[in-house]
Amino acid sequence: MDWKLAAGLGVLLILPFFVTDSYTRHLFILAFVYAILASNWDLSLGYAGLFNFGHIAFFATGVYTAAIAAKTLGVSPMLTIPLGGATAALTALIVAAPVARLKGIYVVLVTFAFSQVLLQLILSQSHITGGAEGMVRIPALQIGDYKFIRDFKFGYYYVALGLLVLSTFYLLWLTRSPFGKSLLALRDNEEYAGARGISIMRARVLALVASAIFPGMAGSFFAIYLRVASPEVLGFGTLSLVLSMVLIGGIATITGPIFAAFAIFFATETLAGTRGMEEFRFIIVAVAMILVLRFAPGGLARILQVFQFKKNRVL
Amino acid sequence: MPVLELRHVTKRFGGLTAVDDVTFGVEEGELLGIAGPNGSGKSTLFNVVTGIPFGASSGEILFDGKPITRMVSHRIARLGLARTFQKDAEYPDLTAKETIALAAIYGRGLNRRAAAEAAETQLEAAGIGCARAGMLTTALSVYERKQLMIASALVMQPKVLMLDEPASGLTRPEIAALNAHLVKINKGGVTILLIEHVLSLLLSLAERLIVLNQGAVLAEGDPQEVIRDERVIEAYLGGRSA
Repeated sequence: MDWKLAAGLGVLLILPFFVTDSYTRHLFILAFVYAILASNWDLSLGYAGLFNFGHIAFFATGVYTAAIAAKTLGVSPMLTIPLGGATAALTALIVAAPVARLKGIYVVLVTFAFSQVLLQLILSQSHITGGAEGMVRIPALQIGDYKFIRDFKFGYYYVALGLLVLSTFYLLWLTRSPFGKSLLALRDNEEYAGARGISIMRARVLALVASAIFPGMAGSFFAIYLRVASPEVLGFGTLSLVLSMVLIGGIATITGPIFAAFAIFFATETLAGTRGMEEFRFIIVAVAMILVLRFAPGGLARILQVFQFKKNRVL
Repeated sequence: MPVLELRHVTKRFGGLTAVDDVTFGVEEGELLGIAGPNGSGKSTLFNVVTGIPFGASSGEILFDGKPITRMVSHRIARLGLARTFQKDAEYPDLTAKETIALAAIYGRGLNRRAAAEAAETQLEAAGIGCARAGMLTTALSVYERKQLMIASALVMQPKVLMLDEPASGLTRPEIAALNAHLVKINKGGVTILLIEHVLSLLLSLAERLIVLNQGAVLAEGDPQEVIRDERVIEAYLGGRSA
């Protein structure tokens, strides 16, 4: 394992023993969720080159899977986490069918339209989903007598961190496998890859499905953690925030969007609590995204790689 | 029975007929040259046969006796019909070894370990040393990239190899080395279809030559006779040379 990743994981593992207030832990939990969303989007956008603007729909699928399963059907909240991953993968399979045959702007249009269809479905089926008001009082995580909210969200912190760790290892394993390399090949030269036996459609479908599993699980966790399912998760605000994490972090790097998710999430939360900056925080993120795309299209991860390379050369 | 057979193959783009009623067969082990002026439909013909990125508008293509006219490109490749491209085809984020190993895994169905071994063998045959095998393809020379493209086709153990201008951009010594390499591949039992503008290479290798003009077969036969054909000279030069 990369020593930087190991060090980061070590810090996050012991952090709750030093950071004991509930609010800071809450911020970390949400940052973990955003990091899962951003890094998994990097698989379809960065590696497969699919401009999939329906990524948030996978997250929303997980949110509503947990809400309906736990509250309406009485399924154990813990079980709704893998269930969210499964339903999100199924959702991805549905959207992948038309997307696998499309390119460029058409992928954007179809995937964005798909997330809007999902939003309308949630709004129109209010007897199941709660409509525009959403669902509240979703059962919380509990094992026996132990409630995960106890001890200033100690349990929730480690469940969220566990999901992020699993997701990161899964993505690193996938992107270093022949399948991950085949995605890069298809992204960079579709005709050459096809001429070497790589199925374009199969790779695209698998990339979308593979990128949906952990966002679905994160969505389910999000719903049972906050005990709320709201159609707001499908809003353009969430989509643009997560997209900025992917682009600023650096596409096709996996770890870049994770670091960017932490940086952007904590920066926007800090600005939200700073008098006079509440309304400017998203403008600052947008400007940062434009600057990165203009001057360092590879994102933060590539900047660090270049820095590391130059340092090594000097030595 | 020809290993590859084209029957009245036509490709139209709206009102433009890029490949016009082309019929010919390629025998197993043959080295067939394909020539023609720019825009005569040579590369389009390769595209139509391999399904990259489009198939034929009409006609029939048989490979090893099986119809492949409507087949998708990766299936055609897996059957044993490999091709290279006129332009530099590479994966900027993959190394030379990864490029070949990927073709071995997806094009031939090898596992990772066997694919890595097959890639090393092909890299050696292509003259790309161990030190350069781990480099990104963009860091290789033009000659190495051309060889890499051929190596990534050969690792799939194709029956037929379709080469689209493999000598373009190469120096004379490199063309001579390519010539020797292609002779070796052909003697190894691989049927070759070769599109080439470097006439010396084409004439030294091809057992039979087909000349295309405006998408149709203009002349076909012994290379030395075909290049003296008045219609061929006119197509290339726009009139009889002095």
